[in-house]
Amino acid sequence: MKKQLKKFAQFTALSSLLVLSACGGNQAAGDEDGESSGGVVKADIGVISYISGPGAAYGEAITNGLKLALEEINGKGEVKINLVVEDSAGKQDQALTAAQKLMNSENVTGIIGPTLSTEMNVVGPEADLNGVPIMGTSTTAEGIPQIGDYVFRNSLPEALAIPAAIDKAIKKYDAKKVAILYGNDDVFTKSGYDTMKKAAEEKGLEILTTETFQKGQSDYNAQLTKIKGLKPDLILASALYNEGAVIMDQARKMGIDVPFVGGNGFNSPEVINIAGDAANGLIVATPWYGEKEDDKVKEFVSKYEKEYGKKPDQFAAQAYDALYIMAEALKNAGEADRDALRDALAEVKGFNGILGEFSFDEEGDVVMDPTVLIIEGGAFKEFN
Amino acid sequence: MLAELINPYYLQVASFILINIILGVSIYITLSTGQLSLANAGFMGIGAYTSALLTLNFDLPIIVGIMAGTLLAGVFGILIGIPTLRLQGVYLAIVTLGFGEVIRVIFVNWESMTKGAVGLSGIPHMGRELLNTVKDLGFDPKVLGLQNNQFVFLAIFLILLAVTVSIIAFFRRQNRSRVGRAFAAIKLDEKAAESMGINITYYKVLAFAQGAMVAGFAGALFAHVLAYISPADFAYHRAVEILIFAVFGGSEVIWGPVFGALFLTVMPEVLRFISEYRYMIYGLIIIIMMAVRPQGLIDVNILNWVKLKTSKRRQKHGTSSQKSM
Repeated sequence: MKKQLKKFAQFTALSSLLVLSACGGNQAAGDEDGESSGGVVKADIGVISYISGPGAAYGEAITNGLKLALEEINGKGEVKINLVVEDSAGKQDQALTAAQKLMNSENVTGIIGPTLSTEMNVVGPEADLNGVPIMGTSTTAEGIPQIGDYVFRNSLPEALAIPAAIDKAIKKYDAKKVAILYGNDDVFTKSGYDTMKKAAEEKGLEILTTETFQKGQSDYNAQLTKIKGLKPDLILASALYNEGAVIMDQARKMGIDVPFVGGNGFNSPEVINIAGDAANGLIVATPWYGEKEDDKVKEFVSKYEKEYGKKPDQFAAQAYDALYIMAEALKNAGEADRDALRDALAEVKGFNGILGEFSFDEEGDVVMDPTVLIIEGGAFKEFN
Repeated sequence: MLAELINPYYLQVASFILINIILGVSIYITLSTGQLSLANAGFMGIGAYTSALLTLNFDLPIIVGIMAGTLLAGVFGILIGIPTLRLQGVYLAIVTLGFGEVIRVIFVNWESMTKGAVGLSGIPHMGRELLNTVKDLGFDPKVLGLQNNQFVFLAIFLILLAVTVSIIAFFRRQNRSRVGRAFAAIKLDEKAAESMGINITYYKVLAFAQGAMVAGFAGALFAHVLAYISPADFAYHRAVEILIFAVFGGSEVIWGPVFGALFLTVMPEVLRFISEYRYMIYGLIIIIMMAVRPQGLIDVNILNWVKLKTSKRRQKHGTSSQKSM
C-alpha cells in the first residue's frame, strides 16, 4: 500500500510538472503585440475555424474570405491585423481549448469564429467571462449574441432570414396552407424548424402537417406522399442541402410542384448540381448574392475566383465582411484593447460591406435586409 | 509567480485529458472480464443528461447531480449487462453499439425534456459555481494572486485530478483483490473459471455495471466542465474514441488506457501548429501502432521492465539516502 501511495504521488507530481512546464513556454511571446505605434493600431485577432473533419469546407471558405480581407486591410495601412488561426475540428471541446489558447497564450484582442453555433454555445460564455470580444461569422442559431456583452455576430440569423423568405413567398403565391418537413437530429435543421414554425404561426398560416426525417436518409416517399395528399400551397423544408436536394428531386418526380422555402442549410449551389431541374422553385433568404450589381461585390467575386479557383459562398462573404467590421472597430477604438474594441464594435452602424448595409443592435445581433433568392431555370435569381 | 505559471489553456487541456482517462478506465473494466462493450458513450450520455437536467431544472447542487447521473448509468449498466451475458465478442459489441445509438436517438426525440438536437446550454459550470461559493464565503482568489478564470480552471483541474487518481487507485486495488482475480480468470477462460466455482453471472454484470458507472461519472463531469451538451456528443464517434484509448494504450493493465487517453488527447493539441494535417498524423500514428504493436503500447512486459529499471535506481538512491541519514 505504501509503495502504491508513493507511485500515485509520483504520478501526481509528474503530471502537474508536465502541465506547469508546458505553461512556461508561450508566456512572453504575445505580450509585446497589441500596442499601437505611430498612430497605426496593431492587433492580433484570433480565428477559430472548422478546418479539419467532415465540415472542413465551411472552415476553408471562412479562412479564405478572411485572408482575402486581411491582405486588403493591411495593404491600406490604417490598421495592422495579424490573424492567428486555430482549428476546432467542429467539436465543442476542441473549440474551447482553441479559444483558451487564443485568449490566454496568444493574448489576442478579439476572436472571429467559431464556425458552428454549438461551438459558440461553449466558447461564447468563456470569452464573455474573460472579456474578449468574439464575433461569429456563421453562427445562425437563436440566442447567440444574447450569451453576453462581448458576443457578436455578423451572420444573418435564421430568425431574420426564414421569415423574410416566407413573407415574400406568401405574397407571391397567396399561400394559406403549408406543410413542414425537417431533419430532427441535426442542430441546424432543428433550430431552423423552430424558427419556421414560429414564423408560420405568426403569419397565420395553417400548418397541415409536420414531418421529420434523419440525417443521411435516402427515401422520403412516405413523408412526401402524405404531404401530397394534403395539397399544401407551400412546403417549408428545414434541411441541409444534401438531403434537401434529394427531397426536392423525389417530390418533383411524385408530382408535387409547389414551391419550397428552405432554411440556411438549404442555401447552396450544390442543390442545383444534385437535383438539376427539380431544384426549380426553391426559395431561400440569404445575406449574400454573388450576382448583385455592385462594384464591391463584383471585385470581391473576381478576386476570390482568381485566388482560390472557385466562386465564393455566403461563408466566405460573411467572413470577409467580418474582418472589415473588426478593422473598422479597431480603427475607431484607436488601441488594441479588448474593452475598447468591444465598445467600438457595439457602435458599428451602417457599415457598408459586400453583404449590404450592416449594423449591430443593442445585443450584438444583426440588423440588415436579407436578399430572397429563388432557383429558376437552374440558377439562383433574385425573388420579387 | 504562481499566477504567471497558471494558464487556463493548459489547465483546460489537462481537464479533458483527465476526463478521457476516466473514460479509458471505464472501458478497461469491462474489457478486463473479456467483454467488449461499445455502450460507454451511451452511458456517458446518460450520466451527462441526468446530471445536467437535475441541476438545470431542480437547482440541485452539482455534486448531487453527478452522483445521480453516475448511479443511473450504473442501473442501466445492470439492465443491459444481464440480458447480454450470453453474448460474446463481436455480437456483444454490436448489441452494445446498438444500445448507445438507442440512447442517442432518445435524446434527439425526447424534445420536451432534452431540447432535441439543439442540446442543453447553460448547464452550471463546475468551476464558476465553485468560484461563486468561495466568494460568498468571503474568500477572494486574488489573495493567492490568481485571476478569476485562473482560479476556475485550477479548481476544476485539481478536483478532476483528485477524482481520477482515486478512481485509478480503487481499480488497482480491486485488481489485486478476489474480484480482480475472478475478472482475470473469466477473461482467460470462462468455462474453466465457472468450474472453479466463480459466479460468472455476478462478476460479469458487476464489471459491466462498474464500467457503466465510471462512464456515467465521466459524462456528468463532462457536462459540468463544458456547460453545454448535445446528443451528437455521445454518438458512435465517441464510442470509437473511447475504444481507441484502450486499443492504443493496451487493455491488459490499467495504465494502458490511461496512457492511451493521455497520449491521444495531447496529440491533436501538440500538433496544432500544422492545423489541417494534424488529424492525418494522428491517424497515421494509430495505423502504425496497429501494425507494430497490436496488443497496445503498454502491456505487462513493458510494465515489468519499467519496474525493474525504477527499482534498481531506487535501490541505489535508497542506500545513499540511508547513509546521509
